[in-house]
Amino acid sequence: MSPSSLGATPRRRHLTDIAWRAIAGLSAVAVAGTLLLILGYIVREGIGALSLSFITNTPRPIGIPDGGVGNGIIGTIIIIGIAALMAFPVGALVGIYLGVYGHGRTAASMRFLSDVLASVPSIAIGLFAYTLLVQPFHHFSAFSASFAFAVLMMPLVIRTTEGALRLLPAALRESAVALGASDYQVTARCLLVAARPGIITGLILALARVTGETAPLLFTAFGSQFWEFNPSNPMAELSLQIFTYAISPYREWHQQAWAGALLLILAVCALGILARVAFRQRATVET
Amino acid sequence: MASRAAQTSRLLSARHARLYLPGLGLIAFAVGSTHPARAATQITGAGSTFDYPLFSKAFYVYGQSHRDVAVNYQSIGSGGGIQQFTAGTVDFGASDVPMNAEELARAHFDVLQIPVTLGGAGIAYNLPGVAKGLKFTRELVADIYLGKVKKWNDPAIAALNPGVKLPNMPITVVHRSDGSGTTYIFTDFLSHVSPEWKEKVGTAKSVQWPAPSSVGGKGNEGVAGLVRQTPGAIGYVELAYLLQNEMTYGQIQNRSGQYVYPTIDTIRAAAATKPDVSSTNFSIVDAEGAESYPISGYSWVLLREQPRDPARGALVKAVMTWLVSKGQDLAASVDYVPLPANVQETALKTINEMKVS
Repeated sequence: MSPSSLGATPRRRHLTDIAWRAIAGLSAVAVAGTLLLILGYIVREGIGALSLSFITNTPRPIGIPDGGVGNGIIGTIIIIGIAALMAFPVGALVGIYLGVYGHGRTAASMRFLSDVLASVPSIAIGLFAYTLLVQPFHHFSAFSASFAFAVLMMPLVIRTTEGALRLLPAALRESAVALGASDYQVTARCLLVAARPGIITGLILALARVTGETAPLLFTAFGSQFWEFNPSNPMAELSLQIFTYAISPYREWHQQAWAGALLLILAVCALGILARVAFRQRATVET
Repeated sequence: MASRAAQTSRLLSARHARLYLPGLGLIAFAVGSTHPARAATQITGAGSTFDYPLFSKAFYVYGQSHRDVAVNYQSIGSGGGIQQFTAGTVDFGASDVPMNAEELARAHFDVLQIPVTLGGAGIAYNLPGVAKGLKFTRELVADIYLGKVKKWNDPAIAALNPGVKLPNMPITVVHRSDGSGTTYIFTDFLSHVSPEWKEKVGTAKSVQWPAPSSVGGKGNEGVAGLVRQTPGAIGYVELAYLLQNEMTYGQIQNRSGQYVYPTIDTIRAAAATKPDVSSTNFSIVDAEGAESYPISGYSWVLLREQPRDPARGALVKAVMTWLVSKGQDLAASVDYVPLPANVQETALKTINEMKVS
């Protein structure tokens, strides 16, 4: 196609170029600016209530100072930790199947099902966990929340594991086979090693995805004012505590809600950075 | 090459397995083991968000002197409270409106409902240049919410408030978008004072709002926020929110013709006019008495008459007995209204019907 057939003079093309650059630039500023505004606002509102006692104490009622969200932090770690133990093995195995062996109909329907599962609203999954694990036992539990989170994380783990494996050059697999490696050796010793950074990134992103979920927790983890380490009991969770404080009438609690949100954002940011670092390992493995 | 890859793989997997998998679990258990296990029995309750600040204070104080019991109350909303109580997942429920006959039929056990605290809705407004204390008759509130009085400088408002410079501004009517006990009390009040409201709209936790300028906010905080952001807005907001958030709110004329502010005392006065309150006859809106604030109502705790586990039931009974008697002294510290003495007696009598070993 000759330049003239585009119907534009160099001058006009130059102007169009400038205009689109400006639009793209503004969009980038809008996205980054929104994030910075949110972060800045949360830091401004939350930093005042942030202190050591806020991280190490349990919630206190209005008028009693030094309340904290320590039990919520521990609860979040326990709930998400158990969820990860449930979701990772299953999700990674399904992802390996899809990424290495999955070519037929079964794999296609599997992919479809996992995508559908990924789009189910989290509150619906929370109610599912409630019906399955809370109602029959007449008892709220952290475990039921972990189960709901595991269901939320699974499709993410599946798709990222699959994606990481598919990104590998075919030559890697071919050369392993050519050297006489068995199917198991090819997958476990060669492909998985090369894809590990991508898989780990997926796992971390799945963790970040459920950190800060509130809806599925209302009817599963339930929340608690006390230290609780037994997953079969109701347990505090950071985002639940933020929700409770945010809808209260008291400024003191509003501030604690902001501080809690700040902690949550820091945790998610840390996970994001961890994911980047894990992904960067990939380059070193490949070279 | 294959052997080197395998070596790296073994090395890497060993390192990562150590790092990632048991890490989370270890943290959890390490922290867990440093705290001794609580010997206290945990009682769970769920429901009304309105009750939460009071309950959190009361159960905290109770726990200080009763180490054997820990009450875990979560505010999931009155509707959710009734649901969870009915499903048997909590030891007690809390609701701003007692369970009705239909809801009681759905529970497969006998229910005791006791009044635990009082609430009242204030009429908050946002009028540039107009301070707190605008006067409203009962009929005027109804007409505004019916959409019949549309402007702030309407003669009906001006006549009640001589000397106040009312702006020529349209009235934006704010209501709760979620099902709420405050809405129930407010619409109950409107139904009592306006036959038109009773016929067209009625009393419920959520209704079809007739005024064309209506906007809905979720929760007390949602209504309060909308009123604060919208010049010309009027909305009904729970007392604790009014006081804590320094909103401007009006005086409402009561049945005896007096203009009264919503305060702990005026709401309590309204409640005292009806000592024999029960879950089937509980309305105290538009109460008699010169001191009575007309938009007031009770909040309720739901209990099983025959707890599944009698030992836990005994603990629940003790907690509730304390809550409606000594616990009431804490109410004022969080801007809540304590039960009048005669209603405390009624509540205690009902709690005593609990059948525990």
